[in-house]
Amino acid sequence: MNNLNYAIQVDDLTVAYNYKPVLWDIDLHVPEGVLMAIVGPNGAGKSTLIKAILGILKPIAGSVTIYGEPYEKQRKKVAYVPQKGSVDWDFPTTALDVVMMGTYGQLGWIKRPGGKEKKASLEALEKVGMLAFKNRQISQLSGGQQQRVFLARALVQNAAIYFMDEPFQGVDATTEIAIINILKELRKAGKTVVVVHHDLQTVPEYFDWVTFLNVKKIATGPVKEIFNDDNLTKTYGINYKVAVNK
Amino acid sequence: MTSPQIEIQLIAAIVAIACAIPGVFLVLRKMALISDAISHSILPGIVLGFFITHDLNSPLLILLAALSGVITVILVEAIQKTGLVKEDTAIGLVFPALFSIGVILIAKNANDVHLDVDAVLLGELAFAPFDRLLLGGIDMGPKSLWIMGIILVAIIALLLLFYKELKVSTFDIGLSSALGISPVIMHYGLMSVSSVTIVGAFDAVGAILVVALMIAPAATAYLLTSDLKKMLLLSVFIGVFSAIAGYWMANLLDASISGSMTTMLGIVFLGVYLFAPRKGLIAVLYRQKQQRTEVSLLTFLLHLNNHSEAEERHINHLQEHINWQRVRSRTVLNLALKNNMIEIQDDLVSLTDKGKEFTDLAIEYIITNKDEKIEPMKDDFFLFRG
Repeated sequence: MNNLNYAIQVDDLTVAYNYKPVLWDIDLHVPEGVLMAIVGPNGAGKSTLIKAILGILKPIAGSVTIYGEPYEKQRKKVAYVPQKGSVDWDFPTTALDVVMMGTYGQLGWIKRPGGKEKKASLEALEKVGMLAFKNRQISQLSGGQQQRVFLARALVQNAAIYFMDEPFQGVDATTEIAIINILKELRKAGKTVVVVHHDLQTVPEYFDWVTFLNVKKIATGPVKEIFNDDNLTKTYGINYKVAVNK
Repeated sequence: MTSPQIEIQLIAAIVAIACAIPGVFLVLRKMALISDAISHSILPGIVLGFFITHDLNSPLLILLAALSGVITVILVEAIQKTGLVKEDTAIGLVFPALFSIGVILIAKNANDVHLDVDAVLLGELAFAPFDRLLLGGIDMGPKSLWIMGIILVAIIALLLLFYKELKVSTFDIGLSSALGISPVIMHYGLMSVSSVTIVGAFDAVGAILVVALMIAPAATAYLLTSDLKKMLLLSVFIGVFSAIAGYWMANLLDASISGSMTTMLGIVFLGVYLFAPRKGLIAVLYRQKQQRTEVSLLTFLLHLNNHSEAEERHINHLQEHINWQRVRSRTVLNLALKNNMIEIQDDLVSLTDKGKEFTDLAIEYIITNKDEKIEPMKDDFFLFRG
């Protein structure tokens, strides 16, 4: 059953809120080294899928493996960027401090971050072009800057697989390009990146792998093969036409 | 000062520190109301514990009472999870029910129980020095000093051990969970610690005022700093200061100690709310006024930048062109002059090089909305500080 070639393997996954399934019998096999978009309408369960893979939500059925092992054993191989809106940006802390939180997983309980963690966090901030803002209180950052801080926090986790929940939500074009460039770099380094994505126009340009989701899985595979009007229509329920440059 | 006076202040200070630390995390987690709920619903636990032990300071009583605090949290969450009512409604349903069970238990057994509702609500700090801890016949000091002291040491130890975990699970519950730092464990840990603290402090300051000691210092510190460690230290300082100052106010007015302590917490909060350097009301109003002026300045500079005709730049006709009142034009003109952004020759106003540069940068910022461009300008101008 467990194929070690898959970075992420989801089998028969069903997740429900108050006994109402929001994800129904999902099978998803993601090969290593792809940059994958998860697309689907609002309420399709895109964030839920990520949260279920990461064990944040308990599924009522099915299984998830990361490189053939349960997530609990592979935590250190996985980095996660939640939706920017899911945290309180008035929290009394600095950009550097937020990035340092990415190192907490490697440290485990009780152990405190030290010089090594700080150095890695500063490097990550530099990579996303935010080093100058390291001591800035996080509420004093623009939306795009906050998203870059979140990305730096994921980079510092130095993972094999990155999950990102709508990293392009409410960011300016410059930040969007900066983020996608970093994601492409990660792919080049052999990492697997999974992104919940909203802008269908940019899918062929940004990603090489795509999953269509609407409570059930509609399709998954290489963008070149399956990103077509047929799958879009099946996912979004209306006759969808996207100008895809083939 | 007499020795009971010193002891009362010492107990008050220790209670204040012990309450302030979990209070910071309750405030940051937007759970201030849950401390109110816990402080009331521990009553049945205290009464039951008292029936069993006949000692308000018994560890068993503290554990039983803390347990009813944690049960409150579980009940609130269970009701909330049905999706039928919101969290505040669930809190409002649970704690009066549990509290009233306690009240009925006291009333039914009023004759043989030395415990009355007044003391439960307001505490009896003044009597705390009379209940001594005797070890082998030696007086070791007031019992409540020992109890709160032990609770405080435990709180500080837990804070030092789990600071990182508390921080990440408070800030970002999703990341915390993904990293394997269970937010559920942290949540119930914090709830247990808060419950134990409230039970320990309850004897000294009562069910209503313990809430003020938890929430007010944290809320005040939140206005003063944007650093979690400083917020913790400031909360502790504000709590201790208010407790001791409140004690002396009570002395002066011959009034309730716990009432005076809470009043003092309120006064300190009000003072900080008005005068805090960045988030205070006066600072905010001042900043808004500055921003208005600076938007005017920029408008004025843009006008100069856009117009080379002499009649548009004549010092006596400026207000007609920008459509401002004389006073406002004067203020803006002076501000621009003071910053060397304009020069006046033969009553004609024109931009200096500095003024031109500033205007160009500002326009570029407004068009591109790129923050890096205006970083150096932020020190001088309110407008760009968001």
